[in-house]
Amino acid sequence: MFNVHGRFYALNNGCPHKGGALCAGPITGMVLPTSGREFVYGREGEIVRCSRHGWEFEIATGKALADPRVRARTYPVSVEAGRVVVTL
Amino acid sequence: MHNNWSSADVLLPYLPQAFREYMERGELPGGRGSFPAAHRPWLHPEDFKRTDATPPGGGAAGSDHAYMCEQLLDRYAIDHAILNGEEAIEVSTLANPYYAQALAGAYNDWVADEWLPRDERLLASLVVAPQDPAGAAAEIRRLGGHPRFAQALVSSGSQRPYGDPFYHPIWEACAELGLPLAVHLGGNAGVNAMPTGCGPPTFFWEAHALLCETGMGHVASTIAHGVFERWPGARLVLVECGIAWLPAILWRLDEDYRALRKETPWLRRLPSEYARDHVRLTTQPLETPCNPAALWPALEDVGARDMLMFATDYPHWDFDDPASIRLPPEWREPVMDGNARALYGLSAGEAVAAHR
Repeated sequence: MFNVHGRFYALNNGCPHKGGALCAGPITGMVLPTSGREFVYGREGEIVRCSRHGWEFEIATGKALADPRVRARTYPVSVEAGRVVVTL
Repeated sequence: MHNNWSSADVLLPYLPQAFREYMERGELPGGRGSFPAAHRPWLHPEDFKRTDATPPGGGAAGSDHAYMCEQLLDRYAIDHAILNGEEAIEVSTLANPYYAQALAGAYNDWVADEWLPRDERLLASLVVAPQDPAGAAAEIRRLGGHPRFAQALVSSGSQRPYGDPFYHPIWEACAELGLPLAVHLGGNAGVNAMPTGCGPPTFFWEAHALLCETGMGHVASTIAHGVFERWPGARLVLVECGIAWLPAILWRLDEDYRALRKETPWLRRLPSEYARDHVRLTTQPLETPCNPAALWPALEDVGARDMLMFATDYPHWDFDDPASIRLPPEWREPVMDGNARALYGLSAGEAVAAHR
């Protein structure tokens, strides 16, 4: 479970690369794609790095930043009567 | 796998007085407690330890035996694991070969004292400073008879490739003691050569992908210089140098040797034949083609089923998980078990008492 800027997201805890625990890795921002030799950092708190090999995943969608065809499985999350509900 | 210290000061009691002073009062670029060696100019931007491998009780990743058991040895029911240290092989980068060899000797004594007694599953690598072949040979002779030292170990970064006659005293000592010479990724700094003949790579991931380059150099050199002809018991083990490149290099070595054999009249067999009998490679980091099956046909062609040995590289970032590694069914037993048992003389199916 992740809280990103006040919204909740749920990811399967197995990294689609080689199964590492996504919950054990740091929550970070990312160096944004640019066309030149500049390094712009942004999206703080929206990315989780897998604890094993460091793959970066967009928490909201589960997509791997380096290859969006690879995705961590996501689950729908809602807040109902003060409780967070995950639909498996 | 990599056993580590939280501070290199653990070596101080094991250093001869003359060299202990170097470490106590001399220059240490990394500050007190760091290991005196040159550092490669490619720095991992996220550090190369798994972020979940830091022991809960503190200390560096790989420094806590109990946590190592929990995350690796017990978790995967491993029968034997070979310790390669973390920084010790970097002694190859130092210009002063006497200091380098003293540090290597101190590491070996520390491993024998601090790690081996704790867990009968553990075997150790005998680290030497290759830039001092006579001193390295003496160190191999000093400790090589210890039953828990499984191999001699040097970094893949070197001044010359390891088949060069400069290093033959090391091969001589290894043959005498019946120890393989293992070559582990590292030492790409200091007095050692820069990787690639087109100039150094720029980014860490670029350099990491190219780590196989030094492995290629050592395979070609040991074969061409006739190390395996002169010492029939010699074994070269490449650790963390990749494997997918092996067939291409062996095909090329065979083809070129067949044309220009006259340069090396001491050879009696094809390069690939020497490799099959004398060269072993650890699988980590296992290459991952889009189609996993694509990795194996070329390796099959050069007989690599007898040559590969599974490794984890715990606790590093590019760790291979023994529970999820994908191997063809008929490769599983030799790669996960049989080839290493044969190389290191470990009895088949030997049950090892659990650690104390």
